[in-house]
Amino acid sequence: MRRLLVPLATGLVALMLGAAILAPWIAPHDPTLTNLSQRLLPPAAGHWLGTDHLGRDLLSRLLWGARASLAAVTAILLMVLTLGCTVGMMAGLLGGVVDAVLMRICDAFMTVPTLVLALFMIGALGTGLTNVVIAIALSHWAWYARLVRGVTLSLRSQDYVTAAQVAGLSRLAIMRRHLLPALAGPLAVLASLDLGHWMLHVAGLSFLGLGLAPPAAEWGIMINDARPFFRTAPMLVVLPGTAILLTVVGFNLLGDALRDRLDPTMPDHVH
Amino acid sequence: MGNNMLRRSLLHLAPGVAGLAMLPAPSALADRKRLTFSWPSNAGPLHPHLYSPNQMYAHSMLYEPLVRYGEGGQILPALATAWAIEADGRAWRFTLRRDVRFADGTPFDAAAVVANVDAMLGNRARHAWLELVNQIEGAEALDPGTVRLRLAKPYYPTLLELSLPRPLRFASPAALRPDGSLAAPIGTGPWVLAETSRGQHDLFRRNEGYWGEQPALREVLVRVLGDSNARALALETGEIDLIYGTDQVDADTFRRFTADARFTTAISPPIGTRLLALNSARFPTDDLAVRQAIAQAVDRAALVRHILLDTEPAAETLFAETFPYVGLGLRAPAFDGAAAAARLDAAGWRRPAGGRVRMRDGQELALDMCFTGTDALQKAISEAVQGDLSRIGIAVRLVGEDASTYVGRQRSGDFGMIFGDTWGAPYDPHAFMSSMRAPSHADFQAQRGLPMKAEIDRRIGAVLISTEEAQRAAEYRWLLTTLHEQAVYFPVSFLTNKVVHRPALGRVPFGDTRNDIPFAQIGRG
Repeated sequence: MRRLLVPLATGLVALMLGAAILAPWIAPHDPTLTNLSQRLLPPAAGHWLGTDHLGRDLLSRLLWGARASLAAVTAILLMVLTLGCTVGMMAGLLGGVVDAVLMRICDAFMTVPTLVLALFMIGALGTGLTNVVIAIALSHWAWYARLVRGVTLSLRSQDYVTAAQVAGLSRLAIMRRHLLPALAGPLAVLASLDLGHWMLHVAGLSFLGLGLAPPAAEWGIMINDARPFFRTAPMLVVLPGTAILLTVVGFNLLGDALRDRLDPTMPDHVH
Repeated sequence: MGNNMLRRSLLHLAPGVAGLAMLPAPSALADRKRLTFSWPSNAGPLHPHLYSPNQMYAHSMLYEPLVRYGEGGQILPALATAWAIEADGRAWRFTLRRDVRFADGTPFDAAAVVANVDAMLGNRARHAWLELVNQIEGAEALDPGTVRLRLAKPYYPTLLELSLPRPLRFASPAALRPDGSLAAPIGTGPWVLAETSRGQHDLFRRNEGYWGEQPALREVLVRVLGDSNARALALETGEIDLIYGTDQVDADTFRRFTADARFTTAISPPIGTRLLALNSARFPTDDLAVRQAIAQAVDRAALVRHILLDTEPAAETLFAETFPYVGLGLRAPAFDGAAAAARLDAAGWRRPAGGRVRMRDGQELALDMCFTGTDALQKAISEAVQGDLSRIGIAVRLVGEDASTYVGRQRSGDFGMIFGDTWGAPYDPHAFMSSMRAPSHADFQAQRGLPMKAEIDRRIGAVLISTEEAQRAAEYRWLLTTLHEQAVYFPVSFLTNKVVHRPALGRVPFGDTRNDIPFAQIGRG
């Protein structure tokens, strides 16, 4: 079973990445081009998946939607990793008061539910995809900082780190040469499991009308737009919903597989 | 809390309501006599003189005006049976209906009218948007059956504004506190508020002591339902009996009900106008050519056919021609993208080689179009308008925001184009135009950049206190023609009330005004 899941997950993620990267070239129509007389068409030759309530090509919107969603998730990933690693390593290496203060800040961020925190920040920053990305990143970095701090603490007392210190390596160099490579595994596992979660966040906030400005295509926006038509044209909801589902499942399976590979404490791990 | 308790005890004291419990009605019949309706929010505390969160439909159930607005703008008797204007035009005498009691048993008389007017005048600032309140100097009781209303100047729409759902309606003086607040919502209307449960429902019971014809229904339960899909499902499953309103369900759902033999549907005559306001004080809509090009480039017929699905007729004028003084024969320019493009070319807006957006003097022909983000209809119209305008080289940035930010933009003028409906009868045209003189809605800001804005404001002021019928008509003609020529509005469609129910409910008539739901007439013969 597991043998099948890994290629399946890789395939799904590759498919979505391919759609996102190639959207400008493979989309058959302009995703924002309205044509009211062509509204709610069923799938046919000109429009392989049909059209939405404003006569826009659904397939083109799905492809461009992949681009928006994956771009947002990538941006969130970069922000979370940067913030989490910086704070976590500072706390772990410097210890003392710095550690205490940074970890209390983390605690503060972790006590508030992420969606509530994200909504609060969008309220403060304003709507738009950039602000959605910032809000999601700011509401999720604390777990990464905790993880990085924990790993850093356990490594700090390792002999090779002590040796590096004795050899006169600066803190920055120790971080870069010895800590970051050790962190790559656990971070990759955590991040791949979170990617799907963030994608749902982006789609959810877009669904609420807080993300990309219309007429841009994004899966969450597409579902929201389709709400009035879910009885007459259910595919308008089902297709972007399926796209979200498949992508999230793909990322999660990949994360699971990655964890099995990299985490020696997993009970079913086979060397 | 104290408020609620007092409300309940007052209701129980009401002799009419006490009598209700003794009616020999089998429970099955009683059930059938209850109508379940839905509304996006609770009815509110129902102070007759106050505004949001009080809902106008509920105001009209509990409280009555001196005179009411009938079809086509005629003024009909309500709590007053006769009225006359004094020779100088600055005072009105109203003969009050006899034997009318509030739901708590307090008689409705001249003293009750004076108490309500005084309470309202104690809060003048809150009502400054309504010219009549600014004009009222005071009310006095000539005898228990006659009231005299004194005005600062002769004000022609006096009777129209007396018919509004608020603020000139009457609460029981026993419930009205000296500071103007209300102990319990008690009026003279055909309904009393029996129960309210926040976020759940409001229950209205028939006022058994009502002076007029009794409603056929015994109770109206109004469930709080925010989402139009949930509302449509509730009607299908029988959880609610009636859908009634302008945007209670979207056009697709309404059309689905129309095609479904299990339901009766109806569309009312025009009750207001769905408008887009264009900002004449802001680049690039400060250029008349741009506004006129927009008027030609947006395919109104397609919006009406494919987005509104013909549930509302296309609008070419600021007000439907059935309203008083506005039947002037004005016509919107026909949809013609090529002519709009030529107009922009002539005004110096040129498409740069390879570019999609026109430019002039190094500036892009781009504007913001603002709407409420959660309003699916506004969003769909916005996206269609954006598509139409992009074809002639105008870039439209869509700004969908929460309702309060959107209203803030209407007031501050921070928009290129923005939605703004007229208010419908009995506000249209005079009260809506009166409010164009202050930044209370989008109109003032949209018109601010017009070279003749000062004259527009002056003439609106003049028309309201003009006593000559012919002069009034002439002023309205100038005002409406000027606004039409200046193209500060893009009328989309005339708002209609849409009704859906099962045939068993019987006949559901339309209210005479936009905000009136005629529950009292439902189920009568």
